[in-house]
Amino acid sequence: MIYDSLIELLKWLSITGPAASAIAAFINSIFPVVFIIPFALFAVYLERKVSAHMQDRLGPMRVGWHGWLQSFADILKLIQKEDVVPAQADRWLFNIAPVLAFVGSYAAFAAIPFTSTYVGSGIDLGIIFIVAISSLVVASLLMAGWASNNKYSLLGAMRSAAQIISYEIPTVVVILTLLCVTGTLSLYQLSENQTGNIFNWMIFGGYSGGWQKFALIPFMLVGMVILFISTLAEVNRTPFDIPEAESELVAGYHTEYTGMKFAMFFLAEYANMFAVSAIVSALFFGGYQSPFGYVGKLLGISWLVPFEQLFWFTMKGMFFVFVQMWLRWTLPRLRVDQLMNMCWKYLIPISIANFLIVAFLMAL
Amino acid sequence: MDLYLILFYFFAIITLVSAFFVVTTRNVIYAAFNLMLTLFGVAGFYVLLGADFIAIVQLIVYVGGILILLIFGVMLTNKITDTDIKSGFLNRVPGLLIVGTFAGILIGTLLKSTWRIAAPLPPPVAGLVGIGNLLMTEYTLIFEILGAVLLIALIGAASIARKQSN
Amino acid sequence: MKTYFENIYSALYTALVGMKITFKHLFTPAVTIQYPEVKPRMVERVRNRLYVNMDDCIGCDQCSRACPVSCITIETVKALPTDDIGKTSQGKKKALWVTQFDIDIAKCCFCQLCVFPCPTECIYMTDAYEFSELQRSNLVYKFATLSESEVAEKKANYAKLEAEKAAEKAAAAAAKAAAPKPAEAVEKPAATAPKPEVAKPEPTVTTAPAKPVTPEKKETDAVPQQESLPFSEPSADATVKPEDSTAAEKTNDTNSVS
Repeated sequence: MIYDSLIELLKWLSITGPAASAIAAFINSIFPVVFIIPFALFAVYLERKVSAHMQDRLGPMRVGWHGWLQSFADILKLIQKEDVVPAQADRWLFNIAPVLAFVGSYAAFAAIPFTSTYVGSGIDLGIIFIVAISSLVVASLLMAGWASNNKYSLLGAMRSAAQIISYEIPTVVVILTLLCVTGTLSLYQLSENQTGNIFNWMIFGGYSGGWQKFALIPFMLVGMVILFISTLAEVNRTPFDIPEAESELVAGYHTEYTGMKFAMFFLAEYANMFAVSAIVSALFFGGYQSPFGYVGKLLGISWLVPFEQLFWFTMKGMFFVFVQMWLRWTLPRLRVDQLMNMCWKYLIPISIANFLIVAFLMAL
Repeated sequence: MDLYLILFYFFAIITLVSAFFVVTTRNVIYAAFNLMLTLFGVAGFYVLLGADFIAIVQLIVYVGGILILLIFGVMLTNKITDTDIKSGFLNRVPGLLIVGTFAGILIGTLLKSTWRIAAPLPPPVAGLVGIGNLLMTEYTLIFEILGAVLLIALIGAASIARKQSN
Repeated sequence: MKTYFENIYSALYTALVGMKITFKHLFTPAVTIQYPEVKPRMVERVRNRLYVNMDDCIGCDQCSRACPVSCITIETVKALPTDDIGKTSQGKKKALWVTQFDIDIAKCCFCQLCVFPCPTECIYMTDAYEFSELQRSNLVYKFATLSESEVAEKKANYAKLEAEKAAEKAAAAAAKAAAPKPAEAVEKPAATAPKPEVAKPEPTVTTAPAKPVTPEKKETDAVPQQESLPFSEPSADATVKPEDSTAAEKTNDTNSVS
């Protein structure tokens, strides 16, 4: 664990006691930022490229080779922009909301294991913690929507809150299903357990031996699909982007935001996308585990393993982010009633049935 | 100073200050968001006490559920362009009386009870598994009754929300 | 119940079909043209920016008259018989100095009507379409090849020639009709400047050649006026008239040459 080695390092620098643990905790919690910001820059670029190529366009081509510096240019532009606060807006909440949105999505990374040597917090309720902390995002969206004092913003915020709350239910039920199979809620533990090879991943029935492993496969698949759909809805992405439906609500809750505050929302959105992808991959696709062995282990270079794990973690996360983009440019937006229908009439009953069947199988 | 203590005071300040604002602010929305901070502070206390599960449930139920619903309700019932989302003071004398009595009782117990300050903390119940075992053994009845109440509430809500078929 | 499962099936199936299509399109080559670097190929006979090949222009003014929006301004000066202007590529001999050939492309409506009347096919539309300018005045293309001093020289030359001719004629006329009014013919040259003055007596002298000659005099008057108002609207009237006169003069000129 990086935290422990940091403590060791600080001890070597003759810093001990609460100061040492505070410094170590601070440095420890910085890592996700170091990961998220480059990721967000890349994801924005990827989004534009994927959308462009799916529509037979080229996307950004001007800044740098094939436009790879486009995101940096965008950030530069956003930094320079005037920070506009609407005259009738509630200044306090208006300014706090984007920060809170990013805090909420950033806090989720505390429970996500990046490698076997790094996880922000060793909390053994990791996945439930993520579900809990995402309520902060809901609060921040409502805050932004209300503080903007704009009908579109408020409508977007309300829709978004209703959507996130509704879709939390199937998410939690699928998580319960997995809890039933694995007996742990710690994403770190879950990822650690899925080591070995690709057939130890939860999508292939997990690491438990016996006939249940094979019996579980279809239900794991159903669970994975439900989890993916509901988390997609929780991050407000197409086809579930009614909170920021451009054709109806301008931009939803961040209509009134400009410059860096808008960038915060944007960053939060992409951080959420990755967090959700990381959760899906940690729950069903082995998290940071390699689908086959590690080169580091093969060569006896132990320090190589975490880097390989980081690579696989990033790749899996990226893959699901790509699938999210893929879906975005494939499917049209759902109507509000369709959205609620899908959640309450399809996802929740199916996930509960799935849960009961899995519980039954595990009890046998 | 221990890091634990620092965190404790941090959460204490957050909780107290935000709770103070919940009571004093005249804007219902402000009160609601301050309440969120208060609930966060309390969740922080739970974490400090080693009750991770309770802290998380606190977040899910109070912040994610009740508070959001509260804000929702306030936003739905008030016009956004107006600033009439205000709360006022009513019935000051009886209110003061009730609060005073209650505070007196609390302070009385605070002063009278013996505190085991130096005693070591009992080892925390083994997280989820312990809670699960307790719920399924000692507190089964309460658990089941609560479940039934929630189910009734759910069905009731659904039947109210449902369109009249005739 | 059956529809319920059918719905689930169709939702998943259609989503997958859509994803298959978009995935295919991910790898189909883009139709985007990287515009400033790669330019779309223009079709043949595309009508874009006008161009005048001044080597072939004989200054006949036909394009200007064909133009429905009057965006072409042509001004010519007759060449001296001794001048050698050269020939067009088709072997036609030029007889006029084109002192001004302006096309206001901002006015141009790209109708191509100016192209057809041109006897030497020297005005035509090219496929250049990027000619935006920051200054509107830059959109007036000046095709005349003569420099200002040259223009002045040509004009002076021609005026001199005219003056000489007029003087000759006046003298001849004076000699012819010396009997009726000798005083007037002698007085006038002394009273005013030589240029206008030489033309004036003419109508009084002979009626037949007088008509083509009077506009010539008008033109010489109008030229400086027109230069002072380069592209403004009121000058259009002023420019058209003298050009009409130059055309008349041209026909007159050819007559005189032949």
